[in-house]
Formats: sequence, structure tokens, C-alpha cells
Amino acid sequence: MTRLSTRGLTLAYEDRTVVDSLDLDIPDGEVTVIVGPNACGKSTTLRALGRLLKPKGGAVLLDGQALAELPTRRIAQQIGLLPQTPVAPEAITVGDLVARGRQPHQRWWRQWSEADERAVADAMERTDVAALADRPVDELSGGQRQRVWIAMALAQETELLLLDEPTTYLDIAHQVEVLDLVRQLNHDKGRTVAVVLHDLNQAARYAGHLVAMKAGRVVAEGPPSEVVTAELVREVFGLDCVVVPDPVTGGPLIVPGRPWQPSPPPKTPPTDSVSSPVRTT
Amino acid sequence: MTSASIRPLRPTGYAVLRPGPAAFLLHRRSLVAAGTLTLALAAVSLAYLCVGESFVSPASALDVVLGRPSPDELVVGTLRAPRLVVALLVGAAFGVAGALIQTVARNPLASPDVIGISQGASAVTVGALTFGVTSYTVLPYLSVAGGLLAALLVYLAAWRGGLHAARFVVIGIGFAIALRSVTTLFMTKGEYVVAQQAQVWMAGSLNGRGWEVSEPLGWALVLLLPAVAWAARAQRTVGLDDDTATALGVRLGRVRFGLALLGIVLASLATGAAGPVDFVALLAPQIARRLTRTAQIPLVCSALLGAVIVVLGDLLARRLFAPTELPVGVLTAAVGAPYLIWLIVRSRNGGTR
Repeated sequence: MTRLSTRGLTLAYEDRTVVDSLDLDIPDGEVTVIVGPNACGKSTTLRALGRLLKPKGGAVLLDGQALAELPTRRIAQQIGLLPQTPVAPEAITVGDLVARGRQPHQRWWRQWSEADERAVADAMERTDVAALADRPVDELSGGQRQRVWIAMALAQETELLLLDEPTTYLDIAHQVEVLDLVRQLNHDKGRTVAVVLHDLNQAARYAGHLVAMKAGRVVAEGPPSEVVTAELVREVFGLDCVVVPDPVTGGPLIVPGRPWQPSPPPKTPPTDSVSSPVRTT
Repeated sequence: MTSASIRPLRPTGYAVLRPGPAAFLLHRRSLVAAGTLTLALAAVSLAYLCVGESFVSPASALDVVLGRPSPDELVVGTLRAPRLVVALLVGAAFGVAGALIQTVARNPLASPDVIGISQGASAVTVGALTFGVTSYTVLPYLSVAGGLLAALLVYLAAWRGGLHAARFVVIGIGFAIALRSVTTLFMTKGEYVVAQQAQVWMAGSLNGRGWEVSEPLGWALVLLLPAVAWAARAQRTVGLDDDTATALGVRLGRVRFGLALLGIVLASLATGAAGPVDFVALLAPQIARRLTRTAQIPLVCSALLGAVIVVLGDLLARRLFAPTELPVGVLTAAVGAPYLIWLIVRSRNGGTR
């Protein structure tokens, strides 16, 4: 079963077609990770899934209905999306920002409810930002800020969650933290998550369903253990590599080929024999 | 951990007001600021009624306000009160207008008197004056039309498949300059007396403005109140980036258009009543925001602060060089211009937005 899918989806910026008649299903209750080289259309596809980009052709379907035909507020009650570089209003506090995730559930005459309260408290607890509630967002570190944004998306309480490169500006420890959080959410609440990631090994580790894209089309999709092969990496990324079992998870681990080395072994130039200090004859 | 989950959680700094099934979020610090500003406004207004060519005791002035018989009926009730009401309304309208336009443009520099709306109103009004329209019952409508027209021109010129905030401001500044030269052209073409009259109007003056000005303005503002109440809430989401706001189910295009239109109408109305009282719309929202420390520009506090600035400004303008009376716009400009320069210098140095 898939609630969210695309049919014949064509996406373009001005005249440049980025994605051409794409059929993609985001399986329910799984973590789907979309990978691919730069400019392959993975982020563009994710933006279209979250109706941030209007299709040039085809449609994104939510429960069989085209997103373009649904009121944006109704969509916001079903699909949450965290863009690549969200911008917070100046001087906003963490608690205030997270609470704004409740927007699609609120009305002018009902600006705050018990459900809002519960959702915000739960989101902040899960992302471990409850202690930061009174701090201005501007003052936080990159990792903390990303957790706050995720908390806002969680407070929206949508069954589907789309994350556009959520680990981009984070160091390795925070990257792992964010991805573990994604996996935990998927496990605890059965939420469907679609994530665009840059790092192929992280994708292989965290994906339940992996989608590899190249030049605006899907090259392969399925469980990482079946999809990730040296041939695929060569085809999609143009990279020579070996795929070995991950020593921790047992899943596929991509090890790129040998780093560049100067090809002929270093020789001492014949002209400069006198001054060379290493010579010992 | 447990204490955090038990503690009732609301957006930090907000109180929840629950009349019946409804629930409203109120920013606590803003409430305090609004209360303080209301008191300040009352004090300034009272001073406005008391101080003038002849001094009236506060008790006597209050008597007039409350409708009790008083010997100062003429000075306070007939001469000063109508002008005070215009000052209050104009100040509040400019304050809210500035807040809305700054919010939409995401730029503290964007205010109706910077991006050409006041200049459009001026050009049309001064043009009408030179063509012999001098009735103060007609002129306000013309300036409202002028303001809207200028805003439409800026909007059309800045629109390129979407409204980019920075482009809007720059094009607005361009139009402001162009429209100002149109005004100057009208003034040099017009007769000396007319030019004189236009000069005073352009500086933003409350001299001679009475009930005939404040009544239509008051009604217009009352009619716009529901829109302002909507704007106060809608504003919250516009401060986020476009993608995040859209993901939260906000129809960003419509909301932005509605906020901008409301701001433009308010600014045009105020300009129509008092002429372009410069910098009030620029100053009031920014000071209000510093007072409340909210993530968005507070509308109520902007309105109150705008009113305080105009009333205080006009009081000083009347008395500072008495018996010579300055137009209030000269005074607000004297305070506002340095602030504008400071804003620009600060943003150059890589300050916040």
C-alpha cells in the first residue's frame, strides 16, 4: 500500500526538464531514502511530493487524489516537510517555533488546544529539545537547530514526513543522531518517512526502501541489501568501488576504490644528486 | 525529563485566553507593552489637550472630554480635540501599515513612505491642487487613490512570476524618487499660493484638520478592524521561509497579497488625512518589536506607538517654535531620518536582515 505516489511526473525549472515522467511509490510505514548524484532530481522530486513545486506534467497522488486538487491545508495535515535550509523568524524562541508546526490544525478562533499542547510537548521530548524551549533559535548550534526544525515538523503530526537532506550541515555525530531519530519515529509511530540523503552508506544503513535516481529517473529501488551493488554504484555515480558487508549491521557497505597515488614510484631526479641529504653511499 | 513532560507547555512567552470554545494566544510581554503604551498615550493625549497658546488644567480638560460643562469648552473641545483625534487615527494607521509592509517585504527599510506609496498620494494630491481642486472633502480621496495607484505600479514592476521582497523594496524606492520629482514638477508649474499650500500638505500637517477629516477616517479604520485582526494572526506564518510556510499549509501568495493590500490601504488613508507624515510607519513597528521581543512585528503595539509618536510630534510641532507652527512631518522626519541611516549602516555591517 502506498498513500503517496507519482504518476508520469514531469518537473522542470523554466525550460530545463529535471524529472521526466516519473512513476514512484513511497511505501507506507517505511523509511524511504532517495539517493543519486548531484542534480539528479532527487530534491526536486521530494519538493514535488510536498507540493512545493508544481508538476509540468503528470501528478503527485495522495490517497489517489492529485495534490494540485487538494486544499494546501488538508495536505499539511497529512504531509509534513522539512526543506533543506529553513529560515526561522528573527529572535523566535524554540518553543514558539515548534508550536508553529501546529498551524494546519489551528483556526483563527482556536489558536491553541490540548491536542496542540500534547503534540508540541511530545515533539520536543522526542527530539530532546524540551530543555531549550525558552532559548532563541539564533543562539543554538547547528545540530540543536536541526533538531528543533525536526521537532516543528513532528509537531505537525502528519502520517507522512519528507526530509530534504536533513544531515547536510551537521558533523558525523549529529548526522547519526538525526538519522537514528528518523528511524525511531518510523518504528514507534509507524510513520512513513521519505528522506533525500547525500551519503550512500548512510542511505544503505537507514533505508528500508532505497531509491537510486540518475538524470531524473529511477535506476533501481528496493531493500538496500538487494539494490546496493558495485555495478549500481558505477552506473549511478560513475564510481568504482567494492561492496562489503558492514561490520556492524551486516548490510552493504560501499568502499570506494584505492585513493589516487602518483603512478610511477617516486624516483630521485638524476640532476640533483649532490645536494640530496638522504643519499648514503 | 518527567518534570518537562508534566509542565503545561505552551509556546514560550504566551498565555492562552479561552472565551467559551475559542482559544486565543496572547504574548505576555506584548500585553504588558500594550498596557504601558496605552497609559503613555493617554498621558500624551491629555498633555496635548492642556498645552497650547493658553494652558488648560488637566482637570478641566478631562471635564470637556467627559462631556461635563467647562469654561474651556472652546479651546479644548472645538480647537484641540478634533485635531488630537486625527493625530491618534493617523498615527495608528501608519503604525499598522508600516508593520504589515515590513512583514511582507521582510525588511525593516520597507515602509509606505520609503517604497513610494506616500509619494504617489502626494503626486496626485499636489497635481489636483495645481488644477484648482482645493476642497478638503475631495483631496483625501484623491490621495488614497494616488497611494493605491503607486502601490499597483510598484507591484506590477516588481512582479516576475512571484514577488521577491528585495526587488519590491528597490523598485519601490525608485518609484518614490520618480514620483517625488513629478510632485516637484506640479509645484513649479502651479501658482505661488497653490505651491505654498501644497508645500504645507507635503510636509504632513495636522493644522486645521477637524471632525470632517477624522470622521470618515475613523469609520474607514473601524471597517478595516476585522482585517487587522486577521492580519495579526496571518502574519505569524509569513515570517518563516516560503517552503516551510507552504509545508504548513499556508496559501502564501494570498496571505502576502492580503497583508500588503491592507497595509497600502491604511497608509493611503492616513496620508490622505494628514499628508505624508514621514517615518512614523518606519519607526513605530521597529520600536514596538524591540519592546515586545516577539518573532513578528506586533500590530497593536505598532498602532499605539504610531499614535504616541504622531500626538507627541504634533504637540512639539505646535509648541517648539511657538507662535510659529511646524508641520508634524518635519518633526517625525528629524527623528526618523537618523534612524533610517542607522538601519542602513547596520545592515551593511552584516547585521540581522
